[in-house]
Amino acid sequence: MQDRLVTGHIFNIQKYSVHDGPGIRTILFFKGCPLHCRWCSNPESQSAQNELAFNSTRCLTHKACGTCADICPNQAISFSQQEGFPVIERKKCHASLCRERCSSVCHAGALKIFGKYITVEEALREVEKDAVFYQRSSGGLTVSGGEPCFQPEFLLALLSEAERRYLDTAMETCGQAPYEVLRGAAAHLNTLIFDIKHTDASLHKAYTGVENSLILENIKKLCAEFRDLPILLRTPVIPGFNDSEDAIRELCAFVAALPGKNISYELLAYHRLGTQKYQQLGRDYRMGDIKLDNVLMTRLKNFALVQLGERFVA
Amino acid sequence: MLDSSACASCCLDQESPTLSGQEKRILGIGEDVFSKEHPRVHKIVQTFDGLEPVLDVERALYFTRSMKETEGQPLNLRWAKALYHIASNITIYIDDYQLLAGRLGCKGRYGILYPEIEGDFYETFLDKLGEREGGTAFISPENMRIIKEEIGPYWKGKTYHENFNAAVPQELHDILFMDEAGTLPRYLVNETASWRSSLQWVHDYGKVIKRGFMDIRREAQERLDALDPNSPTAYHEKRPFLEAVIIVSDAIMLWARRHAEKAEEMAAAEKDPVRKAELLLIAENCRQVPAYPAKTFHQAVQSQFFVQMFSRLEQRTGTTISNGRMDQYLYPLYKQDKDNGKLTDPQAMELLECVWCGMAQFIEMYISAQGTSFNQGYAHWEAVTIGGQTPEGEDATNELSYLFLKSKREFPLHYPDLAARVHARSPERFLADIAETIKFGTGYPKLFNDEEIIPITIAKGAPLAEAYDYTVSGCTETRMPNRDTYTSGGLYINMPAELELVLNNGRMKKFGDKLMGVETGDPRNLKTWEDFWNAFLVQQSNYLRIALDIQYITNKMRQKFFAVPMSSSLHDLCMKYCLDLHTEHIPEGYESGLADFIGYGTLIDSLAAIKKTVYEDKSLTMDKLLEALDADFKGYENVQELLKNCPCYGNNDPYADSIGHAVERHTMKFFEKYGKELGIYMDTRYVPVTAHVPFGRVVSASANGRKAWTPLSDGTSASHGADVNGPTGVLLSNDASKNRDMINRAARMLNLKFNPKTVEGRTGTRRLIDFIRSFIDLKLWHVQFNVINRSTLLAAQKDPQKYRSLIVRVAGYSAYFVDLTPDLQNDLIARTEHSEL
Repeated sequence: MQDRLVTGHIFNIQKYSVHDGPGIRTILFFKGCPLHCRWCSNPESQSAQNELAFNSTRCLTHKACGTCADICPNQAISFSQQEGFPVIERKKCHASLCRERCSSVCHAGALKIFGKYITVEEALREVEKDAVFYQRSSGGLTVSGGEPCFQPEFLLALLSEAERRYLDTAMETCGQAPYEVLRGAAAHLNTLIFDIKHTDASLHKAYTGVENSLILENIKKLCAEFRDLPILLRTPVIPGFNDSEDAIRELCAFVAALPGKNISYELLAYHRLGTQKYQQLGRDYRMGDIKLDNVLMTRLKNFALVQLGERFVA
Repeated sequence: MLDSSACASCCLDQESPTLSGQEKRILGIGEDVFSKEHPRVHKIVQTFDGLEPVLDVERALYFTRSMKETEGQPLNLRWAKALYHIASNITIYIDDYQLLAGRLGCKGRYGILYPEIEGDFYETFLDKLGEREGGTAFISPENMRIIKEEIGPYWKGKTYHENFNAAVPQELHDILFMDEAGTLPRYLVNETASWRSSLQWVHDYGKVIKRGFMDIRREAQERLDALDPNSPTAYHEKRPFLEAVIIVSDAIMLWARRHAEKAEEMAAAEKDPVRKAELLLIAENCRQVPAYPAKTFHQAVQSQFFVQMFSRLEQRTGTTISNGRMDQYLYPLYKQDKDNGKLTDPQAMELLECVWCGMAQFIEMYISAQGTSFNQGYAHWEAVTIGGQTPEGEDATNELSYLFLKSKREFPLHYPDLAARVHARSPERFLADIAETIKFGTGYPKLFNDEEIIPITIAKGAPLAEAYDYTVSGCTETRMPNRDTYTSGGLYINMPAELELVLNNGRMKKFGDKLMGVETGDPRNLKTWEDFWNAFLVQQSNYLRIALDIQYITNKMRQKFFAVPMSSSLHDLCMKYCLDLHTEHIPEGYESGLADFIGYGTLIDSLAAIKKTVYEDKSLTMDKLLEALDADFKGYENVQELLKNCPCYGNNDPYADSIGHAVERHTMKFFEKYGKELGIYMDTRYVPVTAHVPFGRVVSASANGRKAWTPLSDGTSASHGADVNGPTGVLLSNDASKNRDMINRAARMLNLKFNPKTVEGRTGTRRLIDFIRSFIDLKLWHVQFNVINRSTLLAAQKDPQKYRSLIVRVAGYSAYFVDLTPDLQNDLIARTEHSEL
C-alpha cells in the first residue's frame, strides 16, 4: 500500500507512444539525468529542478498581454523592445519556489514549467486510462526520461505496483546508475531498453559528461543475470561522435560478446526535432547545424546487420 | 523517446516526411502500375477523368411528359408509367472499352435532373450553375431552353420543395429560411427533406440476381389475379400497387433489351474482332439480366448495375443508392465461375472496376444552394459493404472481400465508397488488409462496428438474423433492405447556435434583432451554472421541438409526392402489404427518423469553458466574456487563450466529456418521449457531411475561443486542434460522452487524421490493426482515417492542377480535394494530425 503514495518528479505523460517498447504505450518521462548528451532531444529532462520554458510562437506579446511580468515575484521577466516577447533573466527565476505564477497566468501556453510531482497512484491511474489499447497491442507503461534510475524509490515503487496490476512495463535507461537499482527495476520489467552510446571512454565523457565504464559494466551484469528479459540495446547515431564504421564495429563487438538470446540491438538516426526546446529553455544547442548523412546511416545499418545477424533490428 | 508535446509545431514538418501510396502516385514516385495492369479500365478512366460535368435533361423531360398525361391516377401507377416512358425513349449508350451497359446520360461526367423535387429552383439557380462554389456544371443552350420552356413550367406549384415550403407554419419558417420561397436556409435548424425524396437507400440486389424481374412480375400478376374483386381496398390500394410493379418490371427489362439491341448494332459495325465479341457478350448479358436469374459472375454484376442505375431514374434519395453487401450477394456466382475455371481474379476485378467507372461518371447534381453546400465536391457515395457477419452470425469475410480491398488500393478514382464491417471475430488477415488500404491514404475503407450496431438494431426490434445482415448505406448509416422503411431527410441542428441564443437572449448576431430562439433573459442574470445550463436546455428543447415539427410535416407529405414502384418491388414488406416504400407506416417495418447535430465538439468545449471560467474559477465575468465574444476576441486575445485552455472534448477528460454526455442525453430523452407520437425511432446522430462549414458561417465567436463564422467541429470529432493527447484520447472521449443505455441513437461519425509516418511499414500496419481492435472493443459506431501529410494539402491548395486527383476523406465520404471550397479545404488542414515519433 505504501508504494502508491511514493512521489516522483516527472515532466510529461505521453499517450499513444509506439516506438518505445511493444504496442501502444504511455510514456512517463522522469525529470533529471546524470548524463548531459549534446544531442539530447529532451533538454528539459536533464535538470532535476523545475524549469521555465518560453515558446514565442504562442506568445500574445506585450501588446496584448503582459501579465507574466506583473506577477513575477522575482522581477525576472521584462519585455524585448521589438517583438514584445518576455525576456527571462534566468538567474533571478526560481520556478520551483514561486509556485510557477507566470505559467499559471499564461493562458496562451507560451510560458510553461517543465516538472511536476506525482504519486505512484496518480501516475498509474493516468496510465491505466488507455488500458483498452494496451490489451490489444501488448502495450503498457514505459518509463523514460531523463533517467528513471535517478529516482530509485519512485521507480521501484511504480514498477512493482504496475506489476501487481498486470500492466506491461518497459524502461528506457542510460545505464548510469548503481547496479542494484537497475537490477531491482529489471526484476519488475517486461522489456528493457538500454542506451549504449560509445565504447570509447574519453569520447563518451566529452559528449555526455560522464565516462562509460559503469554503463558498460551494468550492461554486462544485467545480460548475465536476466536471461529471459527482452533487452534492447540502442545506439543513437550521432554525426561527429559515432557515425563511423569503426565506432559501430566496436559497439557490435561489445554486443556480440554478450550472452543470451534475449538481446537485440538497434541503431537510431540522429534527428534535430528537439532544437526548438533548447531555444525555449534559453540554452545553446551544441550540435549546431550538423545533420546525419542518410546514405551513411543506411550503410551503418547494413554494416551492423552483417556484424550481428539476427540480433540486429533492421 | 522524444517528448513531443513541447514541440507540436516542429513535429508537423518532419525532416524527411513519409509519403502515403496516394502521395507517391500524384508526385510520380514509383511506377505507374495501374495503367499497365488495368489497361482497359485505364482507358475508360481517360475518357472522362477531369472533365466538367454536363447536365443531361432526358430523364427530366420524359418524366415530365409522362406525368402530364397521367394526372389524377394513383401516384405509384403514374410513377411506373413515367419510368416506362423514360425506358422507351431515353438515349442508349454503350461506352468504348466498357464491359457493362447502363448509363443515364450523355458521355463523360454527367448529372440528371429531378424536377419533381426542385423544379422551382430552375429559373433562379440554373444560370449560376457554371460559377457556384462546391460544384459547377455545363448546360447546353438547347437543354437550357428545354428546362425553362418545357420542364420548369409544368412543375410550377407542384414540386415537393414548394409544397413543403407552403406547409411550414410561419413561426417555424422564420427559423428555417431567410426568404419566403424557402430557398435560402439559415443553417440553424435545417431541413434536408426538400432537396431529396428521402434519406439514402439500399436495394436487395441479391433478389434480382437470383430471381430476375420476370419472376417478380409473375408474382405481382398472380397476386393481381387473385385479388378479391369485391374488396374496395384491393381495388383502390393493392391493384394499383401490383399494376405498378408489373409496369416497372417491364420498364427495366425494356431498358435492358434496348441495350442488347444497341450492343448488337455496334457489334455489326465493329471491325475489331475482340471488341466485336465483347459487344456480343454484352448483348447476351443484357438479354439475360435483369429479366432472368444471372448465370455468370459477369451477368450478376450487370444485373446489379442495371438495378442501381435504374433506381436513379426512379428517384433521388439523399445520397444516392448504395451498393449493399457486394461481397455477399456476388459471391455464389463468383465461386461458381472460379471453380469452373471460367473466371480469374483479374477478370473479376476488371468487371468491378467497370462498375466503379460507371458510377464515377454519374454526378449527383443538386440545384438548390443547400443541396450543394451540404454535399460539396459532387458528393455521392454508393457505399459498398464488405466483411461483417452472415445472417447466421458467422464471419462473412470471403475471397471477394479481399478483392474489393485490392481494387480500392489500385483504382485511382474516389469510387466506390468502400465500407468494411468489423467485429470481435474479424480475421486478422482482413484487418491487416484493411489497414494496408487505409495506409494508401484515400480515406478508405470507412469502418463500421458490428459490436455497436447490431445490439442497438436488435434493441429496436429487428430480428436477429436481419440485424446480422445489415448493410452500410450512405454516409454512416445502416440499413436492412427488407426491414427498414424509408426515412425522411432529417433535420440538422446547429448546437453552437443554441448556446449563442443563451448568450444573446434568443438572438443570433448574424440575424440581428429577429428572435431565433427563446428569450431566456440577460445572461448576466444567470447567477449559477445550473441557471445557465437550464437556459441552454430551454434553447435546445426549442430546436428539438422544431426538428420534430418539421419531421412530422415531411413524414406525412412524402408519400403524396413520391412513389418508387421498382424499389418497392424489391422489398418483402412492401410486396406483402402492397404498399409503396414511401408510405409513412409499413407494418412490421423498422421505422426511423433522425436529427443530425452539428458542432458537438465546439459546443462541449464552449460549455466547459463557460462553466469553468465564469462559474467555477471566476477567472472571467459574464460581462467580460460577452465583450470578448462581441469583439471576436480582437483586443481580448488573452481571454481567447484562457478559454482555449479549458478542458476540451477529445482528450479523455471527464470534465468535458460529461458535458457532452449530458447534452446528448437531453436530446435523446426528448426524442424518446415525442418521437413515439410520430411512430418512429427518432435518433440522435452526428453526421455533418459538409454542413459544419455553412453552419459555422452563421455562428459568431464561440466560448471555446473559436473565431466568428469559421467552421464548427465535425461529427463527433474534437474541435480543430483541441485533441492534444493523441488518438487514444479521441476514441475514449467518444466513448465516454456516449449514452450507452439509450437506444435513440445511431451514427457517431468520427474522423482521424494520421501522419503517414505513424503507420509506416509492417510495424505501422500492426499498430493500425491493434488500434482498430481497440475501436471494436470500445463499441464505437464508426471511424475513418485520413493518412496524409499536412504539407501535401497545402501544396494542393497552391497547385490544384498538379493535385487534381488528390482524394481526401471529408465526412462519411471521400472527394477530390481541389473540388472543395477553400473553407472546407482549410477545415481539413486544421484537423489535428496524429503523429508520434
